Amino acid sequence: MSTRFLFVIAASLCAAAEPSVEASAILARRCASCHNAKAKTAGVDLSTREAAMRAGFDRIQRRVQLGQMPPQGALPAAEQETLAKWIAAGAPWTQRKWWSLEPLQPAKKSMDAFIAEKLQAAGLALSPPASRRVLIRRASFGLTGLPPSPEEVEAFVNDARPNAYELLLDRLLASPRYGERWARHWLDVVRFTESEGFERDEPRDHAWHYRDYVIRALNRDKPYIDFAREQIAGDILNPNDRDAVIATGLLVFGPTDAVGLTSAVERERDAVREDQLEEMTGVVSQTFLGLTANCARCHDHKFDPIPQRDYYRLKAALAGVWQPFVDPASTELFPGGRVLDAAYDARVAAIRSELQAVEEKIARAHPQRLPFAGPKPLAQWTFDADAHDHLGSLHASIGLKTELAAGHLNAAALVTAPLSADIAEKTLEVWVTVRQPLKDLVSVFQIYNRSGYRGAASDGIQFAGGTNKQWRNLSTAGFRTQDVKGAKEEPAPGDTIHIAITYAKNGAIAIYRNGAPYGESYVPDAGVSGQLQTYFAGDAVLKFSPSPAMAINEARLYNTPLTASQIAASFAAGPAPALPAADAALLVQRTQLLQKIDTLPKPERAFAAVPRHPGITHLLLRGDVSRKAEALSPAGLSALPGADFKLAVNATDVERRRKLAEWIANPDNPLFSRVIVNRLWAHHFGAGIVENPNDFGVNGGPPSHPELLDTLARELMQSNWSLKSLHKKILLSTAYQQTSNYNKEAAATDAGNRLLWRFTPRRLEGEAIRDAMLAVSGMLNPAMGGPSFRPFKISRPGGSYVKYEPIDSDDKDIQRRTVYRMNVNTGGDPMLESLDCPVPAVKTPKRPSTTTALQALSLMNNALAVRLSKAFAARVQAEAHTRDEQVNRAFLLAFGRLPQPHETESSRSLSLQEICWGLFNASEFVYVE
Amino acid sequence: MSNKSRRQWLLDAGFGFGWLAASALANAQTHFEPKAKRILQIFTLGGMSHMDTFDYKPELDKRDGKPFDMPTFFGQAGNLYKSPWKFERRGQSGIYVSDLLPHLATQADKLTVIRSMVAKSANHMPAVAQMNTGFILSGFPAMGAWVTYALGTENQNLPAFVVLPDHRNYPWGGTLQWSNGFLPAAVQGTAFKSAGDPVPDLTSPFDQSKARQFAATLNRSYAEQRPGDTDLDARVRAYELAAQMQLSVPDAVSLEAESDATKMAYGFDQPETGHMARRCVLARRLIERGVRFVQVYHGASGTDWDAHGDLLGNHGKMAREYDQPVAALLSDLAARGLLKDTLVMGVTEFGRTPVAQGAGKKGRDHHPNCFTCWLAGAGVTPGIAYGASDELGYQPAENPVTVYDFHATALHLLGLNHEKLTYYHNGVRRRLTDVHGHVVKSILS
Repeated sequence: MSTRFLFVIAASLCAAAEPSVEASAILARRCASCHNAKAKTAGVDLSTREAAMRAGFDRIQRRVQLGQMPPQGALPAAEQETLAKWIAAGAPWTQRKWWSLEPLQPAKKSMDAFIAEKLQAAGLALSPPASRRVLIRRASFGLTGLPPSPEEVEAFVNDARPNAYELLLDRLLASPRYGERWARHWLDVVRFTESEGFERDEPRDHAWHYRDYVIRALNRDKPYIDFAREQIAGDILNPNDRDAVIATGLLVFGPTDAVGLTSAVERERDAVREDQLEEMTGVVSQTFLGLTANCARCHDHKFDPIPQRDYYRLKAALAGVWQPFVDPASTELFPGGRVLDAAYDARVAAIRSELQAVEEKIARAHPQRLPFAGPKPLAQWTFDADAHDHLGSLHASIGLKTELAAGHLNAAALVTAPLSADIAEKTLEVWVTVRQPLKDLVSVFQIYNRSGYRGAASDGIQFAGGTNKQWRNLSTAGFRTQDVKGAKEEPAPGDTIHIAITYAKNGAIAIYRNGAPYGESYVPDAGVSGQLQTYFAGDAVLKFSPSPAMAINEARLYNTPLTASQIAASFAAGPAPALPAADAALLVQRTQLLQKIDTLPKPERAFAAVPRHPGITHLLLRGDVSRKAEALSPAGLSALPGADFKLAVNATDVERRRKLAEWIANPDNPLFSRVIVNRLWAHHFGAGIVENPNDFGVNGGPPSHPELLDTLARELMQSNWSLKSLHKKILLSTAYQQTSNYNKEAAATDAGNRLLWRFTPRRLEGEAIRDAMLAVSGMLNPAMGGPSFRPFKISRPGGSYVKYEPIDSDDKDIQRRTVYRMNVNTGGDPMLESLDCPVPAVKTPKRPSTTTALQALSLMNNALAVRLSKAFAARVQAEAHTRDEQVNRAFLLAFGRLPQPHETESSRSLSLQEICWGLFNASEFVYVE
Repeated sequence: MSNKSRRQWLLDAGFGFGWLAASALANAQTHFEPKAKRILQIFTLGGMSHMDTFDYKPELDKRDGKPFDMPTFFGQAGNLYKSPWKFERRGQSGIYVSDLLPHLATQADKLTVIRSMVAKSANHMPAVAQMNTGFILSGFPAMGAWVTYALGTENQNLPAFVVLPDHRNYPWGGTLQWSNGFLPAAVQGTAFKSAGDPVPDLTSPFDQSKARQFAATLNRSYAEQRPGDTDLDARVRAYELAAQMQLSVPDAVSLEAESDATKMAYGFDQPETGHMARRCVLARRLIERGVRFVQVYHGASGTDWDAHGDLLGNHGKMAREYDQPVAALLSDLAARGLLKDTLVMGVTEFGRTPVAQGAGKKGRDHHPNCFTCWLAGAGVTPGIAYGASDELGYQPAENPVTVYDFHATALHLLGLNHEKLTYYHNGVRRRLTDVHGHVVKSILS
């Protein structure tokens, strides 16, 4: 059982590496980047023993001892010692080629023959064939994750056809339940997570598409090579195929540190992004290659032939991939996910260009208004027919909610295009008209950097309501705001007020009301670029916030602090007079276009990869973002064939991921097929041919049946990468069909059952147990697909993060299979957690299986378990007449067999519900054998 | 069998919650003679300011209001801001503790104060995660899970790793902060709720006595027919333990039997201290019952020590909640002889900046470069301050102690070599301390 595989791991960890292997590994790791057969730096090649002998072992040792080599610095003492001992022993060169990186070996025998041979060599043999009753339960759970119905059991047990078992497998593989079952295994590997994690843990509302994609792909038996390729680069390979875009979700299900990615400190942002890419590189290399390439971020891989450089090259191939999240620094906003309807963006763009033409006509009807009383502003908005900047390019587009009347902006908030030049010293000026008594805080006009990257600070004009009743400088979180002690006022509706705020070179902020200084000027002691805040080209925007309380008549921005007399003059000159509205037909046309955009059906989105230009990837010394070394072009891992992508360091994301997908999912890549074969094998037999399905490196240990693995890998390719065929082959093997009877003698030789002298019995996963309870109680809602069910109370305590508290109810949606339960980081169900369901963010190639008192408590008392045991009792009551028949029915449903006399006997004094509860808590219910 | 496989076997075989049945076995799992048998960790969430509590900075007083150039988390560095609280040397040791913590000040001679802590993240959730798991990314096992994995429990009827979250809410990251990560589920922390069932699904909603007997009969005969498959025996045993736990947990969490004097000392009677007082007494009761790792949170996401805008108000309020119960806990543990083999750890996310945040504001921003944690109890020298920050509390001036070092030291006190306590996961032999960490030998008694 579960103890077994862990024992084997422990044993493999304890086995010391051969000194000769260790020494040659040191040469490979420390020296081979220069002294290889190709580069032969200084004429020295250390790639083979013969070549190294030509260089001279004494010389190698001397240079190493003196610390002259490697040039980056002396080797650690332990490595020096290893080398010295090895050379003293005659430098025996037994560096093995690592098996998993070698080409597939030709097939020689049948699957059964490979297994029989190994058993025989150990003096063991297969167990007898399992009964049909056992077999159908085993295969049903194995392929569909659900128990067979009593009728299915009886039909199979009595099926006289010689190929009854094969027909059973065909039926199970054709069931849509197969996709649901095996999708869950895949989702574990790719850490499918439906909330962002970290501080906020916002739900990823559009992530479920990926889960459905996996289920669909498996049920349709999509060739594994296509399945893999589209999860790496589907959006590039098949941009018009929804599923291909959805598939790239695999890349981005890692946690999103939204706070870190928008930190004010550049190093923090870079470090967070680097961690994100490490996570992404890790999931790609572990999932498809079974290699932990991410271990080589800080140094060459300690065990596997993955130099640090390889890590950065592989990372470079993914460096253009971002998660969908609201990034204020980017013009590409993908809140929540990528639009799946490829035509949507084009439709919007077409309407927008029509709109632009109309707006230009409107603007031409409203020429700029000169002269000004003082310096010329940088921008001027008069709100006659639109929010056009009459002087420059800081236009704001109006929307359907915009209300313009008589040259006033009455509603709603508008944001301009970004600045085209940095601005530091400045003046903000507005004329406003009061519409209602000012009770609360009213923001009017502000400037801010959109990217949190440059600090969240802002400046602007604001009326502090409440008891303050004063004008003041608006700033983010009030950090640049002070009470200037201006006169308090309660403006009446209809009042027009002129406010200007100047921001001088020395940082001083001064406010003017109706042309006169207002209160005291002050120098704030906070600002990103000193006390005078700079607003950046391409980043900073201006925002108008009209409200029911206040309309904006005119706004201006100057790139200089106006003097008191200039402001007085401007106030005296007043705002531009309102012009008659432009051609009414144009305005109607504009409104119609705006409505057209607004009424387009909202596009579906998926949480999938968002591409950007990848930039240049550098090797980072010790993996530290502040220690950049040489630039590296994207490539595969050099230990595998075809690793050179022949791309430039500045290649596009399209080029990079296309190459990556083709290199990984490739018949010539021996790991690609071996890894997936092993995953299927591991689930069916309880342990892989390679113990850790995510690690085909040295640490993962040697394979138990390497030739068998290769044979199956070849057969997978020959079947056009059909996973269903592979399942069938495995399940048709004699090894799969044997009993799980314990055998003391065999256990003494092979406690872990790696040689397969029996079928390893095992506890079902949490999902299968929950699903079985639903199925047996007749409550299972078979609805497939769509948004995940959310058995939580979702709240936002404190406003900044999302809390998920698990609840149970008889809501129909909650009775769906567990694969449709929303996979959020917290809010795990205590019962599922106690049954080893992992935290979704952890890549889980293989689950532990523990037995604990908390697990017992959950199965005993969990609301779902208790509720379903009642439903189970009600079901058998409805389906059978006499008490004995009811009990029989319950046993058949739960175990696929009738009760034995002593079991019937011990159930005599129990209510049906007590019996059903007891069956749910029975080992036989939660185990397959 | 190697140690690891035996430990794994014991975990899987389901003794109690999946940990070891007997303390004799537990001791066999240490790497050397332990000084501490268990850990009680008190976590001040949000980031407790060092220069307002334990790290006296006279230079900061002198330069109050002067500019000082430093990058800060929110990018709104103001001028230097002296502590509004007075510092005094306390007890015989003469350790500085400010007036913010008058009760804890009376326990100064029990404290080992580390004033040169360094963490990696200025961001709440990753910072809490690092203090708990060593990593700023989620998905790694909490220290309590590692310790449980290594040492098991002394009490089968209670979880080995218990978390007492703040009554208001969970910390940033919620249950991830006591996750087992990639370790077996059996070692995950169990958060005791302050209302209702302290442990999930503890109470049986109907009389299960007959039904349990029926299930036990089925399970025993199923196991008997399959000799050698020890998991099946473990399942039978797990149900027996679950039944025992239904009695022992309510007993452990019931504070009825505590004397009035104890309740008064911890501050049960005052609204501000009442909740923390109850958690501290509960922590002591769990320690007394052999729980291996108890984590007490003070503060929750939303209500914590995160004094951005109003240091006086925020730290004033949080300290009033925290000070008396924690001081009473230390004195109570000492009186009951529990400090001898219990390591108490006062930890936080990060410190706070020596500069104010924003104009005219009197708050401080996040500051992971330098902050203070304290230890008390088994194996550490009481009444000393170790490490020092520079004159403003900006960076460590001597003996920096990383979170890795801090963890390595705590494991050392439990008799564990942090480099040997490993678990293989996805290609890496993972450690609590990643590839870092040195035991801070100078503070060991």
